[in-house]
Amino acid sequence: MRVALVLLVAAACSKSEGESATGNGSNTIAAATAGPRDMVLDAWKKGGLTPSPLTPASVAVGTDCQSGTVGAVDVLLCVYPSKDEAKKAEDAGLAWVGEATGASQAAGSVLVVVADRRKGDPSGRTINQMMKLAPR
Amino acid sequence: MRTILLAALVAVAAVGLPADAGRSKQVRYVGIHPVPKSEGGGVCYIEGPHVHVFAANKLEYRDHRGASYFVGDPVAYGYDGEKHAYKGHHPIHVDVVVGDEEPDVEYCYIDGPHFHSFAAPAGPEFEVVGDAAFYVGEPPAVYLEARPAMIKVNAIYEPLVYTRPVVEVEPPHAWVGLRFGAPVVVAPAAVVVDAPVGVKVRGPRVRAGVDVRVLVPPPPSVRVDVGIGFGVSGGVKVKGGGRGKRRGW
Repeated sequence: MRVALVLLVAAACSKSEGESATGNGSNTIAAATAGPRDMVLDAWKKGGLTPSPLTPASVAVGTDCQSGTVGAVDVLLCVYPSKDEAKKAEDAGLAWVGEATGASQAAGSVLVVVADRRKGDPSGRTINQMMKLAPR
Repeated sequence: MRTILLAALVAVAAVGLPADAGRSKQVRYVGIHPVPKSEGGGVCYIEGPHVHVFAANKLEYRDHRGASYFVGDPVAYGYDGEKHAYKGHHPIHVDVVVGDEEPDVEYCYIDGPHFHSFAAPAGPEFEVVGDAAFYVGEPPAVYLEARPAMIKVNAIYEPLVYTRPVVEVEPPHAWVGLRFGAPVVVAPAAVVVDAPVGVKVRGPRVRAGVDVRVLVPPPPSVRVDVGIGFGVSGGVKVKGGGRGKRRGW
């Protein structure tokens, strides 16, 4: 019985990892691409930040982007197929920041872009925390 | 006719303007730095690469891979984070401070005791005495060449009122401030009495300035106000700050 339980758990884990790694159908792709973004959001929450729910964003920065806020700071999280592609998109992220204080940095395969358009973070402490907490 | 000409000039000027004329331009920064008073003042605590829509000045910032890196004393602007005391000029390994792989050594030209947000790296370049880091390495030509222009940074800090570090120890013999005479001005006044409470000042008044070198070392064991250390040789004791704010060096 105990052996059966172990096997069941192992099989479940194996299936989950396989789906994330290879993708299989539209639902799986969505799960795979949402993963790294969720890791950023989880890291922020664990660090005491309160991100708003993100909504899909149609922007020039990438094709899989979602935006929201953390406190008074606007945030855009874009997921790319690879770390290199996320890194290459940093300049495009700065274009999204526009005429404001902000930052655009790849955190693994996620591009984290933040913009303080309402000047709600004049010391930059929130932005600093966001960028430091985002998993590399 | 004059009106037509004027209108034509305006039209040409308008066509010649770039699309983003009048819009603020992003300036890249890396590391903490002061915020200009015109932008609200205080300190920006973003440690990594980021952008603002205000420019950096040339005396307090150095270029690091296209971003402006602040080499001044952040405490002077209200910085309340981790700080480390230094005395006199010294190198800054910007790549180590900001955490990237491209080596970049810049130089801080602030005379006397001051703070930075980062500790001096371990190794032969620095000697830490009395909690203050002294640069005891061999300064390269690039440091010496830039010095005449960059020591003007002291004019920015001289009027700033803030609590500077207190450094009362004898500097190490190899301290760059003892081996390389910094341009200083020796005022004729024999005694200075405008020091704040708790600061004893004796001997000639030595201030940061330009183009005049002190060729004769001061008497041994001269006690002077904070900030003259660089370029003054022989038994210099520096005291100041400590209780409340002081003005200047």
